[in-house]
Amino acid sequence: MTTTVKDPAPARPERPRRTKKSVKSQVNLFNGMGQIALLFWTLLVVVPIIWVFLASFKNTTEIFSSPWTLPADLRWENYSRAWTKARVGDYFLNSVWVVAWSTFGTMLLGSMAAYVLARYEFWGRRAIYFFFVAGLAFPTFLAIVPLFFVVKQLGLLNSHTGLILVYIAYSLPFTVFFLSAFFRTLPTSVAEAGIIDGCSHTSLFFRVMLPMAKPGMISVAIFNIIGQWAQYLLPLVLVGGNQDKWVLTQGIAQISVTAGYEADWSGLFAALTISILPMIIVYGIFQRQIQSGLTAGAVK
Amino acid sequence: MRHGKYPFIVGFLFAPVTLYVVFVIWPYMQAFYISMNAWRGFAVPPRWVGFDNYTKLLTEDDRFWRAVSHNGILLITLPLITIAIALFFSFLLSVGGKSKSGDMAGVWGSKFYRVVFFFPQVLAVPIIAVLFQTVYRPNESGLINGLLMKLGFDPVFFMIKPNLALPSIIAVLVWQAVGFYVVLFSAGMGSIPKDLYEAAELDGASPVRMFFNVTLPLLRDTLQVAWVYLGVAAFDAFAIVNVLAITDGGPDGATTVLALEIYRAYGKNDFGYASALGVALFFLTITFAALTLRVTKREAIEY
Amino acid sequence: MPPSTNPSLLSRRALLRRAGAVTLLMGPAAGLLSACATSSDDGDTSTGGTKSGTNPFGVKDDAPIELIIFNGGYTDKYAVEIHEPLYKKAFPKAEIKHQATPEIKTVLQPRFAGGNPPDFVNNSGAGSMDFGALVADGQLLDLTPLWDAPSVDDANKKVKDTVVPGTVDVGSFNGKPYVLYYVSTVFGLWYSGKLFKEKSWAAPTDWDSFIKLLDSMKAAKITPYAYAGANAPYYQWNVILTHAAKIGGADVLKNIDNLEDKAWENDAVKEAATLWAEVGAKYMDKSHEGLKHTDVQLLQDQYKVGFYPSGDWLENEQKKDTPAGFEYQMIPIPAKPNGQMSPATVRATAGEGYIIPAKAKNTAGGLEYMRQMLSQAGGKGFADLIKSPTVVVGASDSVEFPPGTKSSQAALKAAGSDVVNIFFDGWYKDLDTEARAATNELMFGRINADAYVTRIQKKADAIKKDSSVTKFKR
Repeated sequence: MTTTVKDPAPARPERPRRTKKSVKSQVNLFNGMGQIALLFWTLLVVVPIIWVFLASFKNTTEIFSSPWTLPADLRWENYSRAWTKARVGDYFLNSVWVVAWSTFGTMLLGSMAAYVLARYEFWGRRAIYFFFVAGLAFPTFLAIVPLFFVVKQLGLLNSHTGLILVYIAYSLPFTVFFLSAFFRTLPTSVAEAGIIDGCSHTSLFFRVMLPMAKPGMISVAIFNIIGQWAQYLLPLVLVGGNQDKWVLTQGIAQISVTAGYEADWSGLFAALTISILPMIIVYGIFQRQIQSGLTAGAVK
Repeated sequence: MRHGKYPFIVGFLFAPVTLYVVFVIWPYMQAFYISMNAWRGFAVPPRWVGFDNYTKLLTEDDRFWRAVSHNGILLITLPLITIAIALFFSFLLSVGGKSKSGDMAGVWGSKFYRVVFFFPQVLAVPIIAVLFQTVYRPNESGLINGLLMKLGFDPVFFMIKPNLALPSIIAVLVWQAVGFYVVLFSAGMGSIPKDLYEAAELDGASPVRMFFNVTLPLLRDTLQVAWVYLGVAAFDAFAIVNVLAITDGGPDGATTVLALEIYRAYGKNDFGYASALGVALFFLTITFAALTLRVTKREAIEY
Repeated sequence: MPPSTNPSLLSRRALLRRAGAVTLLMGPAAGLLSACATSSDDGDTSTGGTKSGTNPFGVKDDAPIELIIFNGGYTDKYAVEIHEPLYKKAFPKAEIKHQATPEIKTVLQPRFAGGNPPDFVNNSGAGSMDFGALVADGQLLDLTPLWDAPSVDDANKKVKDTVVPGTVDVGSFNGKPYVLYYVSTVFGLWYSGKLFKEKSWAAPTDWDSFIKLLDSMKAAKITPYAYAGANAPYYQWNVILTHAAKIGGADVLKNIDNLEDKAWENDAVKEAATLWAEVGAKYMDKSHEGLKHTDVQLLQDQYKVGFYPSGDWLENEQKKDTPAGFEYQMIPIPAKPNGQMSPATVRATAGEGYIIPAKAKNTAGGLEYMRQMLSQAGGKGFADLIKSPTVVVGASDSVEFPPGTKSSQAALKAAGSDVVNIFFDGWYKDLDTEARAATNELMFGRINADAYVTRIQKKADAIKKDSSVTKFKR
């Protein structure tokens, strides 16, 4: 006969069964309510976007009579009208061009500045850091008139070069901020090893530190892309005078005003879809990185 | 390690700092100067008027005060509502579900929801504004009213009724903001150690209790940042109001905000006054940020 | 830069601790700013041409000319197809740069601010530039040389003698002509001739028959009266004020324009406001406060709206959406017969403004372009295309106008010398803004006529007292 070892007595007195069951039902109720709420919000988010997509295939009468019916036809000509006549194609390509360059510039210059400010001690470091950070609180509206003149005097008005430089300058506060914190978390041991091995500061940065900062860099880059893609005020003021240089946001705004005059609402919705889809696709691809980027920053 | 440090530092800082000074710092300083002048923005020199613009702003302009009061309403409601909704959803998505094998998990479909909720963030504001124009339209061609009227109800005049207009705008701002904070708070909640939740569960805590006694206190820093940022967004609100509201922040000034007043002043070619309004906006924003951080300052909870 | 609601994830405490360290260097900024602001250097480089009978402004024959046209109700076709070819014929070596936009201000403000404006601007539409501000800062070219030049068709006639009398004055500020207003515009209430025929309705000739007709429309489930509250309430204050002139005489409007004391609180204005407030209460759809002008106009095209106030650009603006046979028709604002002016009075003016920036590179070219617009060929071409008569006398005699224009021209003729005009909205933008807001309040039932005139008067008084606002008089 084997002797079974008795279980050791529980460390705590047993809880009455009652509580466990009521907690469980609370959890279930919570779960149920939660699911309903989540579904509701999903609808709230997705329905307007899908509606715009559907409306882009309708014609004016359909849009105005009953908004909830499906389009009678897949009117692709709305898209070709938006792309060519309303010049959404041009604006789209302009946006891509400008955002590509300015994100590149922002990440390059921003990381350089953030790195130096985060890991090196020197006179004036705190002041320079402060000035970058303070930029986050400045309302852009306040600066646009003098900014306009500064850009003009540099001969960069109505040019993509000027717009790109300004985008970089206005993205620096956020980028420097975020990346400084990130660089500070990188271990010093690797840096020291690199220097002992004879690395110059510059190659240390480009060959060692920057690659280590990849996750942070990616999330900041994505935020910059989203923010710069959405910029409206700056291009309005700085390239407003030359329609060939317009970016997508000001183009859409203008189309919505023109739709007021020419009543080409279907073209407007096609244009809206053209502007929305790329961002949703980009986000869909990179959403992992965005979330991990936020995690990296949120933890301390 | 000292050799080669200073040339390196200067080299690395030169481009960013120059760009920043030229395009950001210098214009802002000039803006303060312009606010003390009367200027129409044509190639005619500005005319010094000292503090006249500010006097006019504070004493004669009732639209300014209405705009500030609306910004104030936004300041309180936008963060409050957005954070409340975002907290609720992110709690559901990270810890609200049934725990399996000791791990806290979100409700079914969390990953999908997290992705979808973020969509409004990737849309540019002018796009959202045009989108909601159709949503709010006051007759059967509006998304909401079309549905209501099909069901036999009267249409709701979202942007027309003076006391509905501002809430309608707040709704749009919340719609756009919630997704981002869901992701942010989820990330924060995800970093709370599981054993705290386990201990609470063993103590018989319901999800609601867990939320208030475990999650919330440990998210304090993130919440504070969210509050400040949403508050700043409340001050910056412009494009939505400009496109959605009827006739200049109407009806009859019921939805005007500071940024819109600045825009209108620019529209009247009154650049000195517009800059004075901008300076007012600047000080309000800074004061808010300062106050919030000071008031909510607390030691971080160690764990 | 981050999306608008994106947090910076580090504490702002560092930022605020150093808030006191910010110092503003205003002294040196002052000098530098004036250097920044007065940075216009491109002067007029093109009066190098020789003046002659066919070239009265001395346009240099190879100097380029840059035009910016408002792309709205009239589109820009007339410029591209009619006027620019005329200019090209006169100066074949000149390169014409053409841009069209529905938001004039967005494109033009930076140009003016930078001191390098184009040579010719069609300043029109909801997003137009403030004429008053432009004049006050000397940004517009004095058009006297244009009016005194010989006309293209008859070298013995001056241009000013070939246009409808009053054209030069309409575009003048304190006596000097700065704006060319080109299109003859008549305002009134518009309806569909076809709809009226079907329902056997007759156009009302006075106020009482107007109200009776509104009742019939309501019974037929058609919204009797509508205007766009979201972006065009000025169409409605136009109606109220024109009506006030019919009651109290043309001086009612003159006093309003001149910011005379109590001009708005005049009994005639009060009465007109009261009458129209009743129309608003009983015969309008409350949802229209949230609709834009094209939305309401579309409803009328769908036979859902009876009367709509507008100018006679309406027919052209709605060309694309008007069903066949709609037949736009216009009547003057109905009034009771015992007023100071006849019920047939209309507000008519020259509309659609064109200007030449004073600092343009090719001002001579701009003047010549205007001269070509005012030729018989220019006037006729425009009228043919847009179906609206211009201010050029006789140019549209042979043009077959569509029903709407025929109707408004007939009303203009019937009014004879009883024609009124309103200027304050071009002179004092703030007053226009206040009138728009107040009109919505009145027509949608939130305030009464007394409150209406009082609040607008208050704004007018404030503007009168404000010494920083340039004043105009007529």
